[in-house]
Amino acid sequence: MLISPELILAIFGMLVLVVDLIGRARTREWLPWVTVLGFVLAFAATLYIWGSNASIFAGMYSVDMFSLFFKLLATIAGTMIVLVSIDYLRGRTTRQGEFFSIFTFSILAMTMMASSASLLMIYLSIEFLSYTSYLLTGFLREDKKSNEAALKYFLYGAITSAVMLYGLSLLYGVSGSLNLTDIATAFANTVDPSVRTVALVAPALVLAGLGFKISLVPFHQWAPDAYEGAPTPVTAFLSVGPKAVGFAILLRVALTTLPIYQASWIPLLAVISIITMTLGNLVALRQTNIKRLLAYSSIAQAGYMLIGLVGVNLTGNSPFSGLNGVLIYLFAYLFTNLGAFICVIAIENATGAVNIADYAGLVRRAPFVAALFIIFFLSLAGIPPTAGFIGKFFVFGAALREGFLTLAAIGVINSIISVFYYFAVIRAAFFLDAKDPSPIRITPLVTAMLTVTAAMVLLIAVYPQPLFNLAAWSMGMFGVVK
Amino acid sequence: MLTVNHFILLSAILFCLGAVGVLIRRNPLVMFMSIELMLNAANLAFVAFSRYLNNLDGQIFVFLILTVAAAEVAVGLAIIVAMFRARENVDVDEVNELKG
Amino acid sequence: MLDRYGIVAIFALLAVIFPAIPLLLSLVIRPKKPNQSKKATYECGLEFEDFPEEAQNVWVQFRVQYYLFALIFVVFDIEVVYLYPWAVAYNTLGPFALVEMIVFLGILILALAYAWRNGLLEWT
Repeated sequence: MLISPELILAIFGMLVLVVDLIGRARTREWLPWVTVLGFVLAFAATLYIWGSNASIFAGMYSVDMFSLFFKLLATIAGTMIVLVSIDYLRGRTTRQGEFFSIFTFSILAMTMMASSASLLMIYLSIEFLSYTSYLLTGFLREDKKSNEAALKYFLYGAITSAVMLYGLSLLYGVSGSLNLTDIATAFANTVDPSVRTVALVAPALVLAGLGFKISLVPFHQWAPDAYEGAPTPVTAFLSVGPKAVGFAILLRVALTTLPIYQASWIPLLAVISIITMTLGNLVALRQTNIKRLLAYSSIAQAGYMLIGLVGVNLTGNSPFSGLNGVLIYLFAYLFTNLGAFICVIAIENATGAVNIADYAGLVRRAPFVAALFIIFFLSLAGIPPTAGFIGKFFVFGAALREGFLTLAAIGVINSIISVFYYFAVIRAAFFLDAKDPSPIRITPLVTAMLTVTAAMVLLIAVYPQPLFNLAAWSMGMFGVVK
Repeated sequence: MLTVNHFILLSAILFCLGAVGVLIRRNPLVMFMSIELMLNAANLAFVAFSRYLNNLDGQIFVFLILTVAAAEVAVGLAIIVAMFRARENVDVDEVNELKG
Repeated sequence: MLDRYGIVAIFALLAVIFPAIPLLLSLVIRPKKPNQSKKATYECGLEFEDFPEEAQNVWVQFRVQYYLFALIFVVFDIEVVYLYPWAVAYNTLGPFALVEMIVFLGILILALAYAWRNGLLEWT
C-alpha cells in the first residue's frame, strides 16, 4: 500500500492512453477528467498513507513524511494544470489523450523523485521527469517555438544529467554504496583524505543535474527559452513541478548524505543563491514577454528558496530551522506562481497575446484577472498579506538566525528590485489605455482555478498555522545535523 | 598491471572528450553523440568501481543507464525530427526564434 | 570430458544449420532477376546511378520514416537488457517475476499499439 499513489498514477497514465487508443471522439472528451480523477485518487492515497515512515525496495525508496509532502504538492499541481489546459489545448492540438497521458507520467515521476533514497532511484526518476517534460515542452509539433524550446531544453538537460551521472559514479566509487544513508555512514567512518576530496567534487557534479531542474544559475539558460516556447500550461508546470522535487532531492542529499561536509557546501550554496536571485531579477527587468518575465522571476525565486537551505539548522526547537522555510516557501510558491500563469493562460486563451504591452488596459477588459495579477505579484514579491511573505519570512529568518546577514540583506534588496518588474505589468494593466478595449471572456474553468489559487494565496497568509504544522511534520524524519 | 585507477582515468578522458564535443559542435546530432560518450564514461566508471568494490550495484546501475540512454535517444531524435519537419534545418546556431 | 565437447559440437552444428536453413530456403523460393546494382559490391537495393547528381555524394537525405522506425526499434532492442538476466535467473525468481515481466512487456506493447494506431508504422 505504501506505493499506492504511484501505482494509481501509473495505471491512470496508461488508462488515458488506452482510452485514447480505442475510444470514440465523444469518449475522448472525458480524458482530462479521467486524468483529474487519477490525481484526486493519488492525493487521497497519499493522505491514506499519511504518517508512514518506511524504507522499501531494499532501501531504494523511502516513503516518509518528507516524500508525502511533495506527493501532495505534485498531485495538487497536476490537478490544477490539467484543469486549465483543457481550454488551452482545444484548437491547438488534436492529440489531447497523449498530452494528458504524458502529463500523468510526469506527475508520477515527481512522486518518485520525492521518495528516492538511492543514487539509482535519483537518476532514474530525474530522467523520467526530464523526458516527459521535454515531450510536453515540444508538444505543439507544428509550432516552431515549441519544438525549438524542446530542443534547447533537451540539450541542456542531457548535458547536465550526464555530468550528474558522472558525479553519481564517483560517489558510488568512494563510498561503495548507492544508498544515501549508507554513503553518509561510509563518509563518517573514513579517514582517507582523498575520499574527502571526491566527496566535495562529486556532489558539485550532482548539483549540475539538480540545479538544472531547479533552474539555479549557472544551469538556468534553458529556462527562459523553454518557458517561452512551451505551451503555457506546461510552462506553469515546469515553473513549479521540477523545481519543487528538485529541491526535494537537493534537501535529502544535503541533509542525509552530506551533513558532515556542511561547512563546505554552505558557502557554495550561499554564493549560488546570491547570483541566482540577482541575475534572475536583473534580467527580468528588461523582459517584454510575460512568459520570459515569469521565467526569470522563477529563477530568482529558486535563489530565495536556496537561502533556506543555507540557513539550515535542525538542532533545537527554533521556528526557523531553514528546512521548514523551504517547504513553506515551496507550498506558497506553488499556488502563487500557478496563479500568475493561469492569469497569463486566461488572457492567451482569449487573445493569444503574451507580451506585456498587450496587457494595456487590462483592468477594463478583464477586471478580475487584472485584480488577481496584483495578488499574485504581491505574493511573488513577498509583500504581506500574501503567502509569499510567509515563505520569505521563514527563509530570511533562518538566514538571520545562522548569522548570514549579508545573504538576507541581498535577498531583501532583490525582493525590492523584483517589485519594479512586477509593477511594470500592473502599470500596463491599470494605467495604460488599451488599443482594443473589447472585454476579454474568461472561461469558467479558468475562472474557477484563478479563484482557488488566489484564495489559497490569501488563506495561507491569514491562517498559516496548518501549513506550519504540515512543514513541521514533513521534516520530522531528518535527524539532527552533526 | 591494470588497476582501477587506469579505468577511472580512461573514463575521465572519455568524459572530457564528450564534454568538449558538446561545447564546440553545433549540430544537435553530433552534440547528442558527445553526450552518449559522457554517459558511457560514467558507465565505465561504474563498472570499474563495481569490480574494484566487489559490489554488483554498480553493474545494475549500468544496465539501467543503457536503457535510459536508449529512451534519451528516442526522445531526442523525436524532437529533432519534429523540428526538422517544421523548419528543414537543425543547426543550433540558426535556431533562434526564442531570445531575449 | 568427451561428452562435454560433444555438447559444444552439437551447438556448433546447430549454429551453422540455423542460419543456413533460411538462406537455402530463400535460394529455392526467391525469383531470380539479377541486375547491375544488385550484383555490385555492398549493394543495398538502391540504384545509386539513378540518383540526381547532387544526391550522389555521401550526405544523402533519408526519409524521416527511417528515424521513426529506428526510434521504435531502439526501444524494443534495449528491452532485451532486462529480458536476458530475467531469463537466466528465472528458476530462482518464482512466479511473481513472470507477472512482473508480463506487466513490463504489456506496457511496451501498449506503446507499440499506440504508435501503430497513429500510423507510425506506415511507409507512405
